Amino acid sequence: MNFEQLFLTVLTYGCLFSVMTVCLNLQYARGGMINFGTVAYFAAGAYAYAIFTQEPPKGLDQYLFGFDAPWWIGFIAAGVASLLFAIITGWPTLRLRGEYLALTTFAFAEVLHSFLLNERRIGNGSVGLSNVDRPDFSAIGLSENYGFMLSAVLLLILTSLLCRRILASPYGRAVDAVRDDEVAAEAVGKDVHRLRFEIFVISAVPIGFAGALYAMITTLVSPDLFTAEVTFFVWIALVLGGEHTIKGVILGTLALVTFEEVVRSLHFETVRAAEIAASVEYMMTGLIFVMILRWQPFTRFAKKGATP
Amino acid sequence: MSSDLLVVENLRKQFGGLKAVGGDDGLSFSVKEGSFVGLIGPNGAGKSTTFNLISGVLEPTAGRVVLAGTDLANVRSSDIASLGLGRTFQTPRAFMSLSVLDNVLVGAKSSGENLRSVLLGGWRSSEPALIEKAKAALTRVGLEDRVTETVSNLSGGELRMLEVARQLIRDPKILLLDEPTAGVDPSLQGKLSKILTDLHKEGRTLIVVEHNLHFLFSIADQIIVLQQGELLSSGTPQEIKTDPKVVAAYLGDEHAA
Amino acid sequence: MTLIAQYFVTGIVTGCFLILATIGFSLTRRVEGFLNIAHAEMLGVSAFIAWGLNTQAGWPFLPAAIVAIVATAFLGLFIGRLVYDPIRNLGPAVLLISSVGVAYVIGGAIDGIVGTGIRSLDIPLATTYKFLGVRITDYQMIVVGLAALTGISLALFLNKTKTGLAIRAMADNPALAASRGIDVQKTSRATWLVASGLAGLAGVMLAMIATLSTDIAFHQILQILAVAILAGLGSLYSVLLSGLIVGVAMDMSVYFIPAGYRPLIAFAVVIVVLLVRPEGLSGRSKS
Repeated sequence: MNFEQLFLTVLTYGCLFSVMTVCLNLQYARGGMINFGTVAYFAAGAYAYAIFTQEPPKGLDQYLFGFDAPWWIGFIAAGVASLLFAIITGWPTLRLRGEYLALTTFAFAEVLHSFLLNERRIGNGSVGLSNVDRPDFSAIGLSENYGFMLSAVLLLILTSLLCRRILASPYGRAVDAVRDDEVAAEAVGKDVHRLRFEIFVISAVPIGFAGALYAMITTLVSPDLFTAEVTFFVWIALVLGGEHTIKGVILGTLALVTFEEVVRSLHFETVRAAEIAASVEYMMTGLIFVMILRWQPFTRFAKKGATP
Repeated sequence: MSSDLLVVENLRKQFGGLKAVGGDDGLSFSVKEGSFVGLIGPNGAGKSTTFNLISGVLEPTAGRVVLAGTDLANVRSSDIASLGLGRTFQTPRAFMSLSVLDNVLVGAKSSGENLRSVLLGGWRSSEPALIEKAKAALTRVGLEDRVTETVSNLSGGELRMLEVARQLIRDPKILLLDEPTAGVDPSLQGKLSKILTDLHKEGRTLIVVEHNLHFLFSIADQIIVLQQGELLSSGTPQEIKTDPKVVAAYLGDEHAA
Repeated sequence: MTLIAQYFVTGIVTGCFLILATIGFSLTRRVEGFLNIAHAEMLGVSAFIAWGLNTQAGWPFLPAAIVAIVATAFLGLFIGRLVYDPIRNLGPAVLLISSVGVAYVIGGAIDGIVGTGIRSLDIPLATTYKFLGVRITDYQMIVVGLAALTGISLALFLNKTKTGLAIRAMADNPALAASRGIDVQKTSRATWLVASGLAGLAGVMLAMIATLSTDIAFHQILQILAVAILAGLGSLYSVLLSGLIVGVAMDMSVYFIPAGYRPLIAFAVVIVVLLVRPEGLSGRSKS
């Protein structure tokens, strides 16, 4: 097992997924909205990036659009695509509450997945788009691995700062008030719909950026990379981190990614053994998840040392 | 000159098949600007439902509410609140994850509540003034020592006072208070009565639901009596005390005592 | 025209299967008050127990199916008591999220024990009958028959038996039910047994009419959700109608749009119903 490689992978993916958990934390722990379609905003960003940066279709390509734009335009397009998808899905659904919202967002994500899978003109259907363009880090003297790791760290830092800025303001106070008691918040003139909608939409943007970065790292976008499993993964990480503080959810995500990568880096003699290991990893994840929800150790800890 | 600030016309509310407010013609009454109205009636008379209908928490089955010339049909409760209406609730409502001070600050209309101001940081300059205002409001309701505490430490009566403070910082034109003295410590009740009298003097309109009739009759200038969702009587405290209908239906026991 | 009729009949069969798969889910939602995402995994548990006994241990299908259903019922009861009972006061959202964790554990266990790949039961090949040009197999007819039978038995159970009446009382108003002397614990246990047993039955049916792979549960939960939402979350009798609607809509859609979009119909149902009429067919208000 190559320690440096493991370290880089954990840090890169850990920060990448942390961007999503930090945003989900904003939506759920602060905004009170259960978004069970997180993967859709991630996928929207990744596909937008791939479509904007790829070359126009030729030969066997079935996709319709390719703009051959530089990476940073693709990156911006990823944020915009995620933002637009959040507006489209958030506008009609946010008057729904709790499990109803969870189900609708989940359904929207599955609809998007189904379109990406079946509508070949978007991104070659199940084959996906390969050889996704990536920025060149050699210009600033970095190897690719370190370049992407630093990009992920940077994106996470910026996302955390954005969330912190929002939450530590009167705006965050109003958001908290709406989550605690909508009726009382409305009785002092808080526009509950606007606040929920804005939080939902703004927290989708970094998820879109994360999608773009993910596409750069894997150089491939295909429907089977963006299943509901990604959503569940981020939710598990969120719960693992104790739901409340930015620091907590980042630690939770890093722990989960480390766990997965370590299991993945183990060497198995047979395919069957690897299969069993994967299943055990799955079961362990679920078990830890259920136990944390049951006893909430991190939440208690976080509440004691809560930052305003 | 005083005019009608709040007009309630033929208001009716049904839950399933059950009438909560309004008989065949619905409930009608009006409140003049600057008056202090007591809303009384036995339990289940529809007092809190009337408040919920006026403040837009509930949609009326029929009839309408007009506030300062604006018909409130299809106006959201947050917008009604922004029109200058403040209210408290029968069961006190607090924002449990926020501190006492923040609970009051939520009542303020801060410039830091739009995203642009938050992202650019422009709200910071106005915040200290708001905090001073919030502290003043807390002092007024007698919670000045509890500013930094979490609300879970407050008693039921203190939560009621907290709700009042949250409304005070908003500077409402008309304030609807639902049983403000229930569960409130007698020492604080004196403070409350002073606050209400002061608000009245400042020219604000008050509607107060209250079971403590001595408290209410001593400061209100108009009393509305509801029974089973319908208007039983309306008039000055003196008129109400001697109204045979009211005495028979509601005040009987106390009058005899 | 015959083709449309064929899709319609297949849709009815799909619908009947969905009814079996959803009733237990809706019952849990009604009595326990949350969406049990792991319900679909119980279908998988039952299907693979039946498969294991039938093909690996060489049992005949019927006893294998019965053991699978009973085992699934008790596993459901066990999980309900172990996982959900202690956290009930944390609210439906936490229960819903927890059930995702439970689904992971069960799904991982099935994956680990059974392994990937496509399986099918060791039972005689289906006999196809033809009515007016429309084909239907004997196994498909069993599914339809069992769905009808289940609907009737459930109605009898909920209306005539003491436990059934207790379940209904608890579903309508838990506090009131408790104050009227209904044993809440016992009723909750009965609910888990019945709901998981129904999942077991649906799982065995699935094994009978389709090939099995370990990721079936995920595909089922999406359709179960669609049926439950169309019926109105937690309502039981409307499931009979909404199951048929979703089943027929999915299978008939293949006539009009590419087959790949068939699962999409279920989500279209979820989205449209939740946005237009969140209370579903039953008309019960969501509060």
